[in-house]
Amino acid sequence: MKTRSTTRRNFLRGAAAGLAGLAAGHAGLGRASEESLVLGVFPRFSASETTTRYAPLAEYLRERLNRKVVLVTSKDFQSFWRGIEERRYDIVQYNQYHYIRSAKTYQVIAHNKEFGKSTIAGALYVRKDSGITSLAQLRGRTVLFGGGEDAMISYIAPVYMIMQAGLRLDEFTSQFAINPLNSVIGVYRKQADAAGSGDIVIGQPAVKSAINPDELSLLAVSEQLLHLPWAVKRTMSTPLREAIQSSLVDLENTETGRSVLKAALLTGIGKAEDRDYDPCRRMVRLVMGHL
Amino acid sequence: MRLGLSAKFTVTVLVILICTMAANTLYFLGTSTRLHEQQLLERGRALGRLVSLISPEAILGFDFLLLNDYTREVSSQPDVAYGAILTPQGVPISYHVDTNDPYVRKRAREGGSVEITELIKKPEGVEDLIRLDYPITHNNVLLGHFLVGISRESLQSQLRRQVVIQAVVMGAIVLFLSAAIYGAFRFNVLFPIRRLIAASREVGRGRFTAVEVRTADELGQLAQSFNAMAQEVKEEQAKLHRQANFDALTGLPNRMMAFDRINLEIHRARRTGQRFAVLFIDLDNFKSVNDTLGHAFGDELLAAIGAKLQESLREADTVARLGGDEFLILVPEVVSEVEIERIAERLLQSVSEARDLNGRKVVIHCSVGIAIYPDNGESVETLMANADNAMYQAKAAQEGSAIFFTEEMNIRLRERMQMEQDLNGAIELGQLALHFQPIVDTAGPRHRGAEALLRWHHPERGQVSPADFIPLAETTGQIVGIGDWVLEQACRCWRTWHDAGVNPGFLAINVSRIQFRKRFSKRLAELMAAYRIPAHALEFEITESVLLDDHHQVAEELGSLRALGVKLALDDFGTGYSSLSYLKRFRFDVLKIDRSFVAGLPTNPDDVSLVKAILAMAKGLDLRVLAEGVEHHAQLEFLAAQGCDFAQGYLIARPMSEDAYRAYLTNRQANGDASNLAVIHQMRAAKGRGQL
Repeated sequence: MKTRSTTRRNFLRGAAAGLAGLAAGHAGLGRASEESLVLGVFPRFSASETTTRYAPLAEYLRERLNRKVVLVTSKDFQSFWRGIEERRYDIVQYNQYHYIRSAKTYQVIAHNKEFGKSTIAGALYVRKDSGITSLAQLRGRTVLFGGGEDAMISYIAPVYMIMQAGLRLDEFTSQFAINPLNSVIGVYRKQADAAGSGDIVIGQPAVKSAINPDELSLLAVSEQLLHLPWAVKRTMSTPLREAIQSSLVDLENTETGRSVLKAALLTGIGKAEDRDYDPCRRMVRLVMGHL
Repeated sequence: MRLGLSAKFTVTVLVILICTMAANTLYFLGTSTRLHEQQLLERGRALGRLVSLISPEAILGFDFLLLNDYTREVSSQPDVAYGAILTPQGVPISYHVDTNDPYVRKRAREGGSVEITELIKKPEGVEDLIRLDYPITHNNVLLGHFLVGISRESLQSQLRRQVVIQAVVMGAIVLFLSAAIYGAFRFNVLFPIRRLIAASREVGRGRFTAVEVRTADELGQLAQSFNAMAQEVKEEQAKLHRQANFDALTGLPNRMMAFDRINLEIHRARRTGQRFAVLFIDLDNFKSVNDTLGHAFGDELLAAIGAKLQESLREADTVARLGGDEFLILVPEVVSEVEIERIAERLLQSVSEARDLNGRKVVIHCSVGIAIYPDNGESVETLMANADNAMYQAKAAQEGSAIFFTEEMNIRLRERMQMEQDLNGAIELGQLALHFQPIVDTAGPRHRGAEALLRWHHPERGQVSPADFIPLAETTGQIVGIGDWVLEQACRCWRTWHDAGVNPGFLAINVSRIQFRKRFSKRLAELMAAYRIPAHALEFEITESVLLDDHHQVAEELGSLRALGVKLALDDFGTGYSSLSYLKRFRFDVLKIDRSFVAGLPTNPDDVSLVKAILAMAKGLDLRVLAEGVEHHAQLEFLAAQGCDFAQGYLIARPMSEDAYRAYLTNRQANGDASNLAVIHQMRAAKGRGQL
């Protein structure tokens, strides 16, 4: 009950902040973009969760930049992507695939560090009792991916590995769980033959509490890819871009910054350049067939 | 075991209360169980509906974590053992088992599996788990099932707690109600009943205590009825007490009360060492008062005498009427015999006072017997008997006197009792015999008959005088048997002599007043018939005392005898009342002049005058006269000269036995007239010698 109450409180708090941010964002974008910076975060989590995690960061940046920073959440990926396309966000965090797609208008300046790592790899899990020991055995099978088709780590990277193994997209059935954790749980619950997810998912407490990880085995893991990128509009002035970059990178060096990171469930933010995401571009080209 | 009313009532109330409470509790528990179960089902249904409603999105999105949240949230609800979401094929994709649930814990303790795959199996029979299954659909497509397991364990434990609480509450209520009802019963019913019981016991002991009437209910009415009854019993008892202890005529204590008073006095005298006296009073000849003046008059006289006796005595003295004409005086704290003598004198004078009752003057005397405690007895019976004995002695000695009891009286009494006992067997032992004394004409002197005289030859005492044993036999009633024997013997003798050719003349037989009361004439008729005795052969001598009895009965019996044709003689005339009215009322054939009047003839002028008067009267009434006790020739001549018809006495012949009399008769008959001449010669010879 305590968890539910906390969740409800956070949701209310996040919803209130989101609504306030949306209002402020619209007002700032229209009136004085020099004065307000819009921070957009892709809807990996619910709006309330996103607000809970990133509101402290927005406040941190406001203090560091001495400019108002407005956190904007999106109800779904479509609306978020519209915001990208309309360049409504000055600062944005999204996944590697999103950045690759928006690299013409946004420039990556940093990346997340999660669980002390700057990188993450795509992975495919199967039940140990499934008898599947190679990617080729996935032919004709069902693979449950975490997130949607734009999920870099949980879909593109696993599919890349499957395709690398010689399978075409139509030679296996793709299903999508709401997130990578559920894809692993789904396989454990025998709802699919394999799960496409990140390599760190199996060690997540939520997964450990829901299933017995020992009954799963790692079928394949991709190369390490730089974590989720932080990007700014390419039209942003260099001093501001650099100020933002340094502010983000400095987070893990101060007490305040560490608390901001803790709120965002990050262990740090590191610098990133566009070429750091070339491996991702390679995978996307194969899986998506474009870029 | 005998249960009291209180215990019975309490047990009944307890049983009723317990049954009522138990039924109420069972009903309450049953209802409560149904309600609780219904609540559980409602809760399960609500959870099931909710989860089945919100789950499709998560199922379709493979959001197992959310589904886990659902199942966890569901299973965290009270009484929910588990929540599980299954695929349509029955594969659990999300579930949560509440390991703290009482059912799960109990199952785990009992070694049962708490795996979801086991828990969700449909229970067989009655289980402690309610399994609810809700389909999860989306656009009419079955996505899975939501199973929720509702545990009855907490319900049952709650019921158990409730049973305990109910039992405690019920016990408290039962105790309280029982105590309250018992208290009310005790106060309103038991106490009044106990008061009634106590009062009835008091009534049983003779103490009449009214029961307090506090209420107007049935018990109050019962108490009122009891009081009324007790009052009636009290009055009735007082009446009975009076009837039992007091004489209705005189109002004096009766025999029973007199005994009680003497008894009390004995106890007191024993403590104090004092003496007291018991005076037994019997009115002399009271019967004649009753007979002559009537019983109503006699009763008035008794009442007057009773009152007079009471006046004559101290307050501490007790006067009681023992019955009939007998009174008893209890004189406590006697100092000396002289004092008692004075009291007795006073009593004698008081009783002897002439009384004017209903215009008739009457004088009556009494005889007093005195016994003193402890000298003449230490018990009521002894004192009474001795006083009675003394009274009889006084009456025998001189009517109108008082005599102290002496031991000699007892000796005489014992002798009398011994004689009475001996007399019982006298007939069977052949100790009784009839003797016959001839009766002759004074003019002739010609033989007429004989008087049958009874003799008792006692083996130790020798010849016992009839004067000693006849009164005793009359007192004890033995005279009836003896008289019957005498009558039969006389008849038998007469028949024997007559059959032997001897003419015995008539036989004069004495009849007691006691015999007269026992239908004497009937018995006589039987014997006369049996022995073929002619009526002229029998003459019956009756004393005046016979005539004192009931005139009607006496007249009837005398009439019966007359009807038989026998002669009647009035015996001992002149010694008793010699009432001429008897001679007028009852017809006799013969008057017998008592020997006491004959003894002084012809010299005693009084006897001469009296005998002449009797003879004159007899002639006037056409009665024949027999003089008894004739022992001298002068007496015989005088009697003959005065017209006396018959003579009897030693001058003629002494009484003789049956055989001697037969010989006497035979001899007389053999000599014919010579016999009479011989007698005359004998008489003259005796005259010459100057003696008989």
